[in-house]
Amino acid sequence: MPVITLKCYATLAAYNPPKGEMTVPESTNLAGLVEMLGIPPGEVKLMFVNGRGARQDQVLSEGDRVGLFPPVGGG
Amino acid sequence: MAPDFSGFGRQELVRYARHFVLPEVGPEGQARVKGARVLVVGAGGLGSPVALYLAAAGVGTLGIVDHDVVDLSNLQRQVLHGTSSLGRSKVASARERIREANPHVEVVSHQLRLTSANALEVLEGYDLAVDGSDNFPTRYLLNDACVLQGKPYVYGAVDRWEGHVSVFAAQEGPCYRCLFREPPPPGMVPTCAEAGVLGTLPGVVGTLQAMEALKLVLGAGDPLVGRLLVFDGLALSFRQVHLPRNRECPVCGDEPTQTALVDYDLFCGLEPEPSPPEREDLPQIAPGELRELLAGPSPPFLLDVREPYEWEIGNLGDQGAVLIPMGELQRRMGEIPRQRPVVVYCHVGVRSALVVEALRAQGMDGVWNLRGGYLAWADEVDPSLPRY
Repeated sequence: MPVITLKCYATLAAYNPPKGEMTVPESTNLAGLVEMLGIPPGEVKLMFVNGRGARQDQVLSEGDRVGLFPPVGGG
Repeated sequence: MAPDFSGFGRQELVRYARHFVLPEVGPEGQARVKGARVLVVGAGGLGSPVALYLAAAGVGTLGIVDHDVVDLSNLQRQVLHGTSSLGRSKVASARERIREANPHVEVVSHQLRLTSANALEVLEGYDLAVDGSDNFPTRYLLNDACVLQGKPYVYGAVDRWEGHVSVFAAQEGPCYRCLFREPPPPGMVPTCAEAGVLGTLPGVVGTLQAMEALKLVLGAGDPLVGRLLVFDGLALSFRQVHLPRNRECPVCGDEPTQTALVDYDLFCGLEPEPSPPEREDLPQIAPGELRELLAGPSPPFLLDVREPYEWEIGNLGDQGAVLIPMGELQRRMGEIPRQRPVVVYCHVGVRSALVVEALRAQGMDGVWNLRGGYLAWADEVDPSLPRY
């Protein structure tokens, strides 16, 4: 099963796994990852894999670096 | 050919001396800066460093948009304003401070809230816009207006310890809508007032925005087009992620479906789905009704879910209110009596509405929201309470 690096930003920081790493089942995509983490729908506004914007259906691979962002709007 | 300093007076030659020696600026670049017209939307946490640094750098014309007045709680981060400006319009306060920073800058005051009706007209006179706003409708509005007029939009946003910076220049890269296709549901994203923001954070992010604006004016370096810079103040780290342009973007895509401004409050869900305090299905009580209940034979349990510092500013303790901050509620549920009606209040009634919903979802039926919160109570029942 792939081991990924995960960083949840800003208000999502509480969902960060210990040491920033987690193991996901084979064929897990980003939508599945968000569900696994228990993040309420709609709270993730941006998803990045290996520094590039990604869609919900992107399947995760060994060593992927995933970033999840909430909307940030303060000024 | 000898450098041409003819466009600068003696004072300016000294003032901009450190720019003149930079190869990327020099007299030609400084002349471009002097001829630049930059619109700063919001004279708050981000707008403060943006306006101050652009003014100090010699941007010839700075437009400042804001409709608010200076509040004491602004001064922890909004360095454009001082204690003597409390209660004044932010635009007037900003104008005075900018002119003090650099009298060679022309400041154009736009004392207004940017809307679909005025945005294109306001933006028309400027080369680019810098976003220091604090709400999503204004961000979408400014993005769309900039796309429609083909002008770069320097984006910045802050939350607690984290900030974002990017440059949206739709001819070359993505726009804000490519990044955030749909606005977040109303009330989901806490404001700076609710979530907090470290005072220096907008200083860092706004200064980066000012730098990007100057680079765009100068045509120097690589602007943050197609890249999002994420600053984490706790880790003190900067990360960059690459942003793809969405070819199906309704505003900047290959075949745009939106070619004019729309109603951005509506787009962000602020009208069709009213904010919690106005929802018809939310049990609410007006301040006057609460006063009568509290004076009656079976007064309700009065629950204050604000933060402790807010309680210190003013509270309804003399009416029997008990403070349980929203974040501690789950742990302290046992302190809420089940046999008495409960009235929940916060600052203006938004956080307390969420608490009322949560308590009702847990089976507590006799729970009401104080409509308009602490501020409405202060307005309608007890004017002696301090406002904030």
